[in-house]
Amino acid sequence: MSMLDIRNVTKQFGSLVAVNSVSMQVAAGELRAIIGPNGAGKTTFFNMISGFFSPTAGDIVFDGTTVTKLAVAERVAMGMARTFQITEIFPELTVRENIRIGVESALGLRQRFWIGAAQKAAVNRGIDEALILTGLTVNADRLVGELSHGDQRAAEIATALTLKPRLLLLDEPTAGMGEHETYAVANLIRRLHKNSAYTIVLIEHDMRVVFNLADKITVLGEGKMLAEGTPDEIAANPIVQEAYLGKAE
Amino acid sequence: MLQLVLYNVTNGLIIGAFYVLMALGLSLILNLSNVINFAHGNFLALGGYIAFVLTPFLGYWGALIVSPLITALFGFAIERLMIRRVYSRDPVYSLLLTFGLAFIMQDACRYIWGPSGLQTSIPDILSAPLSADLFFITWYRIFMVALVIAAVSGLFAFLRFTRVGIRIRAGTLDLDTVSILGVNVGMLRSLNFAVGSLLAGLAGVLAAGQVGLNPNMGDDLLMPSFIAIIVGGVGSLTGTLCGGLLIGVAGALTTVFWPAASEAVIYVIMLVVLILRPRGLMGQEGMMS
Amino acid sequence: MSTATTTAVTTPVMPARPWLTTAIIFAALLTVPVWLPMLGGYTALAGRVLVLGLAAMSFNLLLGFTGVMSFGHAAYFGLGAYGAGLTLKYIAPSTPLAMVGGVLLGGILGSLFGRLIAQRRGVYFAMVTVAFGQIAFYVTYSWDSLTGGYDGLRGFSRAPLNLGFTTIDITNNSTYFYYFLLFVFAVATGLQALLLASPFGRTLVAIRENERRARFLGIPIERHIWMSFSISCCFTALAGALYALLNNFADPMGLHYSLSGEIVIMTVMGGMRAFWGPLIGAALFVVLQDYISSMTVNWMSFVGLIFVLVVLFFPRGLLGMLQKGTEK
Repeated sequence: MSMLDIRNVTKQFGSLVAVNSVSMQVAAGELRAIIGPNGAGKTTFFNMISGFFSPTAGDIVFDGTTVTKLAVAERVAMGMARTFQITEIFPELTVRENIRIGVESALGLRQRFWIGAAQKAAVNRGIDEALILTGLTVNADRLVGELSHGDQRAAEIATALTLKPRLLLLDEPTAGMGEHETYAVANLIRRLHKNSAYTIVLIEHDMRVVFNLADKITVLGEGKMLAEGTPDEIAANPIVQEAYLGKAE
Repeated sequence: MLQLVLYNVTNGLIIGAFYVLMALGLSLILNLSNVINFAHGNFLALGGYIAFVLTPFLGYWGALIVSPLITALFGFAIERLMIRRVYSRDPVYSLLLTFGLAFIMQDACRYIWGPSGLQTSIPDILSAPLSADLFFITWYRIFMVALVIAAVSGLFAFLRFTRVGIRIRAGTLDLDTVSILGVNVGMLRSLNFAVGSLLAGLAGVLAAGQVGLNPNMGDDLLMPSFIAIIVGGVGSLTGTLCGGLLIGVAGALTTVFWPAASEAVIYVIMLVVLILRPRGLMGQEGMMS
Repeated sequence: MSTATTTAVTTPVMPARPWLTTAIIFAALLTVPVWLPMLGGYTALAGRVLVLGLAAMSFNLLLGFTGVMSFGHAAYFGLGAYGAGLTLKYIAPSTPLAMVGGVLLGGILGSLFGRLIAQRRGVYFAMVTVAFGQIAFYVTYSWDSLTGGYDGLRGFSRAPLNLGFTTIDITNNSTYFYYFLLFVFAVATGLQALLLASPFGRTLVAIRENERRARFLGIPIERHIWMSFSISCCFTALAGALYALLNNFADPMGLHYSLSGEIVIMTVMGGMRAFWGPLIGAALFVVLQDYISSMTVNWMSFVGLIFVLVVLFFPRGLLGMLQKGTEK
């Protein structure tokens, strides 16, 4: 059974059809990349999956449950986590505190006014785990707002990972990064996918990253699905080349 | 009975007209600059006092025109000197700034013109009642309502047909895009603040003719103006207009049947709107959040 | 919700040496009856500082630690005062019961109202809270038969504390009463500190820092803002109850929005990102106001000027600046 099953979703804003009847199935453990030119509807598509808004038509099934109309918090509780194109973190807190908030939320402690030693220890274990997984241990006690772009992104991913998500949604994880940082973040994603078997869906502009990481690629153009396949299939697909390069006349 | 109802509806319309002038100015500033101008009532008082000072030189009609313009100029200066410095900061700072400004302006009026009320004179032709039966409808009241209607129409025409007005409306919807298109957002906000102050100044001149002048004459209008905006829906000037008239008339009609509750009714209206229709009568979804 | 990218003013969450600041503050507060008269102050002034300081710190749970701006907190302060006064006058001459009465009145009404507004943000939140505060003001002011209307509620006084084994006379002995205030203040702020250090407290800071991230970590934002608002109202109402005990009087102006503004300026003056900031701000404000109003009838201008100067030149507040200083 697929982890994520999207059936003919459409999103209209007034008369603008941002996403037009797109379907997509992502298997457990798969890394799926969504690509497409600007204005293809990628982010809108993403926002419907994560629950930012509901589709106008169609259904989204997550791990066997229809989540089409569910609020963000409910999807998070079911195991969906996401990061954003512009890194969303708690800038005036340290990396550790950023992660702590996630761990406590994931452990269901977020409305507690008091926690015991055992629970504190469990929280600290969760924090260390996320720090190690993302390689942020050395920066743990620095304010996130002071970190480099790439480390801020890693911190955001670490915070999302505290939820132990069964589906991780990454919106342009390497946006606005230099060569080194892109490489580091791509490596992190690869580790999460290969070593920890996370199911990941990501939007990405950097084609080297996409073709290196993805198991399968979905191509959107003008709100429609243009193609779907393995990196090799997509590279060879004339429709995709046309969408990206224009008609070769 | 009919006369009593009519009397109170007239009162309500006139109070509503003041609410509308105040609330439209507040709303303009709120929508474009995200600032609640706690000093707006003091701009109103200032308009009244300036007219009082000018009348001996310019006559009633001259002061009526010049005083709102001076108030607008004052608003423009205040925006340039102070308020613009805090746009980029947490909104709490702009609120505190206008709050402090309100204290200073009120005290300044008290210092200059004295704490007690001042009577202002209006031209004789305006002070006569319409007829003996309708003794409560003076020509002044009709003139006032007409002028408010003219000012409100003028404002809407300004926003619809002039370049600055169109930019103000566009900026209300999406300031980033407007600034990318090369509009001087700083100047736009200053002008917008001046227009808001102009309306307050005009309300001040008109109110002075009706109830006289005192340093805190605008205070009683501030809270109903907030409520007019909340009831009408934040982000919608038409909503503010309707909200102001609604609470003005509702308050006056309540006076007929249950005088003690006349002030309470506007708060009740606000609560009902907040519970049943949180975005206000004409507010857009999401504007309040 | 403002994040650091839109706020020019950023400060660290915890002071560099929290225990040191706390120790200094309590050392100063405990010795007030010794040093204040030497400086020409009177103990009731220190009582005012404690009470308004507690109100500002309670308010700051919202502004500084949840990132939500209420501009109508005087309402809960005033309701707390009337709750205490009415309890003493009509129910029982018991000081602890009066405090419970005050907290219940302010807390319950605040919580009900908070429910209506939790999805609002920024200046709109401020505007609706101002308007609601004026409802409370208006009702108190008009309900003559119960509240004494414009003249305020009189005819009650705080009762001696009966601890079972002994009775403490806080009615006539102002020093005893000061220490009673300080005890309540210490307990209340201690609870606030625990709250902020708890997982729930951290979710509030998370909401302040980045609402979107908090939402995508599964934190129910509206619910937590509502809870924060309700808790803040309870503590503010407690401060109001203490104020009624301090003056043996509850004043409708205690609910007016001008007091709300003063609570906000105290908080900002002292430093809204520092735990003790609002207390320091309250001390500065109360002393300045006391001094200025004894010097000139135009004290309002000076108070207004304090607002403007703080906003334009000292937006971080006193503790905010000190913290930044020690960091470098």
